[in-house]
Amino acid sequence: MIKLEHLSKTFDSIRAVDDISLEIEKGEIFGFLGPNGAGKTTTISMISGLLKPDSGKIYVDSMDLESNLRKIKKIMGVVPQDMAFYEELSAKENLLFWGRLQGVSRKNLEDRIRSYLELTGLLGRENEPLKKYSGGMKRRINLVIGLIHQPKLLLLDEPTIGIDIQTKLNIFKLIKQASSNGTTILYTTHNLMEAEELCHRIAIMDNGKILALGTLEELIQIVGEKDIIIISGKFSVDHGRKITSLFKDATVLSLKEGKIILSLEASKKMPLLLEEFFRQGISIDDVSIKQPNLESVFLKLTGRELRE
Amino acid sequence: MNNIVHLIKKDFKRKWKNPVVILGFLLIPVIFTMIFGIVFGSSEEQTLPQVPILAVDKDKSFLSQFFITALSQGELKKFVSFKVVEEEEGRRLLDKGKASALLVIPENFTEDVWNNRSAEILLLKNPAEQFLPQIAEEIVDTASLLFSALFSVFNDEVSLIRDAIKKESFTDGDVSSLSIQVKNRLEGISRFVFPPVISLKQETISEKGEETGPSLSVQGYILPAMAIMFLLFICNIVFEDILREKEMGTLRRMNVSPLKLSEFIWSKTITSALIGMICTSMLVVLGIALFSIHWGNLFVIFLIILCLNIMLAGFISLIYSFIQTERQAGAVLSSVIIVMSMLGGSMIPVENFPPLVQKISQLTLNYWGLTAFHKAMQHAPFQEMAPLLVGMLGAGIVFSVAGSFFLKRNLRKGLIR
Repeated sequence: MIKLEHLSKTFDSIRAVDDISLEIEKGEIFGFLGPNGAGKTTTISMISGLLKPDSGKIYVDSMDLESNLRKIKKIMGVVPQDMAFYEELSAKENLLFWGRLQGVSRKNLEDRIRSYLELTGLLGRENEPLKKYSGGMKRRINLVIGLIHQPKLLLLDEPTIGIDIQTKLNIFKLIKQASSNGTTILYTTHNLMEAEELCHRIAIMDNGKILALGTLEELIQIVGEKDIIIISGKFSVDHGRKITSLFKDATVLSLKEGKIILSLEASKKMPLLLEEFFRQGISIDDVSIKQPNLESVFLKLTGRELRE
Repeated sequence: MNNIVHLIKKDFKRKWKNPVVILGFLLIPVIFTMIFGIVFGSSEEQTLPQVPILAVDKDKSFLSQFFITALSQGELKKFVSFKVVEEEEGRRLLDKGKASALLVIPENFTEDVWNNRSAEILLLKNPAEQFLPQIAEEIVDTASLLFSALFSVFNDEVSLIRDAIKKESFTDGDVSSLSIQVKNRLEGISRFVFPPVISLKQETISEKGEETGPSLSVQGYILPAMAIMFLLFICNIVFEDILREKEMGTLRRMNVSPLKLSEFIWSKTITSALIGMICTSMLVVLGIALFSIHWGNLFVIFLIILCLNIMLAGFISLIYSFIQTERQAGAVLSSVIIVMSMLGGSMIPVENFPPLVQKISQLTLNYWGLTAFHKAMQHAPFQEMAPLLVGMLGAGIVFSVAGSFFLKRNLRKGLIR
């Protein structure tokens, strides 16, 4: 459904997207995972036609985006990070407007609006102006606007920022339903749990590059059986290096004064590691062990935690 | 085209749900007109306020009375109200602000005039007023000049009359002799006084009066003048929406739909023109209902409303091509609208400006619109209206096309954050 070939984009001297290539299948939920500034939104903006890439090609539904932009826009839905609708209009008026703009007939729209409002639990409040809605309700409408014309491709740019768990689950339900109906979904997030729960495949991005791409299981294999251990305390970089050099199977992912992140089989080596710290007279403030998951993959790939 | 219709419908719904600002701008011209009506009178015939002048006749002669009467005759009667009072009372009333000026005719007025000596008339002006005492001064000044000219030309005949009055005997022979002398004098000066150009001038005035139709009332001037100024502000409100939509993210969202950016811009121009037309029509109706304004032929007025609002919407769209933020819009648009309104006659009649400024005034949208309204009110023939209408429509189309082109470029830049 989507094919990106050596896509790059630079703003002034910053390379926001750096030579990324990938393919996404029809009906797939594909996640772009990365911290702020990783290049996720820039990639989505290029796919939606808002930004022109400096180099590289984008194909949507086997059509070259550059020469078929208008056709592609008809089969594409976009849900931006911000809530982009008219707050003084009601949910129904907004959905009618956005649907008509996408070329959906009035009759079809009425039916769709009803069914989406029912799915999102907003039926009965469709005539209230959106300014009276809660944040979560607005998020749901923001998503439905992107879905109302039943697009073949849906681009979701962090659609769950600042919402309660109930709304998040409702949004996930809608996304999964759209995917099962054949809509390809491109989902950007910096939330590991969301990516794990929702996406069929995930691309981990940082500094404009795709660091790893695959299913959750494939990505976890990058860290293997080892756990990710994070130790904070009062020690210097030299101390940290000296201690970890004693453990041959340990891989140091990040080392700075007072904090070390390493990959090691915790169940076997953890007591010895801590003992070594104590033996050197180092006081430890905090120790955490992470089982192999997306977070540990991200740590392994970037040497830092996603929220840093 | 369908998309433009959807966008216009959406904008109308939004404005309908929040009409306060537009209604505010719509009411201001009505309130201004009402205030001006109260201050300057509401009769359609009365285009200027009457200047109240007090007159003190210390001479109490035929000539002094003739002078005062002459000042309140004919057309002057419409603008000047004279009241003869004693000097003490006159000064008291002037101090109280009950009159714009006090005219004092000295005791020896007739004697001085008869003897061909310079007679001085005193005019005391009310310092609390600005314009009306000035008008009084102009009127008295002109009357004095005319009297002086009259007495200079008929000096000999005046002497004859004076002597006869002194003798208190007027024989038939005196009358015949005086008549022949006046006739000869008139014949002698007729070469200068009655050349064809003078009679032509009189005729021109009367013809012009017929051509221009009914004179404009104060409200007939103020309402369209203010309306055009505030229509520009109303257009601005619609176009401000572009910046707001950019801020809200709806413009970005539209830009990833099949909608063309030019369709979005044209929808704003059309919405602005339509809202402007509705507002102008409401003002026309209010003008009739509240101020009995005679707008002239209503079909012509409809054409003016149409062409004017297309021109105003196009102009504002062009201005928005150079604006990026709401703050910029506030500063630039307010300045442009106020300066243009001042020059174009929305605040001060253009005739009051020096010739160079009057020429500049003709470049403003307010001038065009206002001229069209005034011509329609004065029942100008359609041939006279047509160039104005075509000019406004043409300017509107050029502005809108240029605005669409440049605004599209401006918006493209702003869509990327």
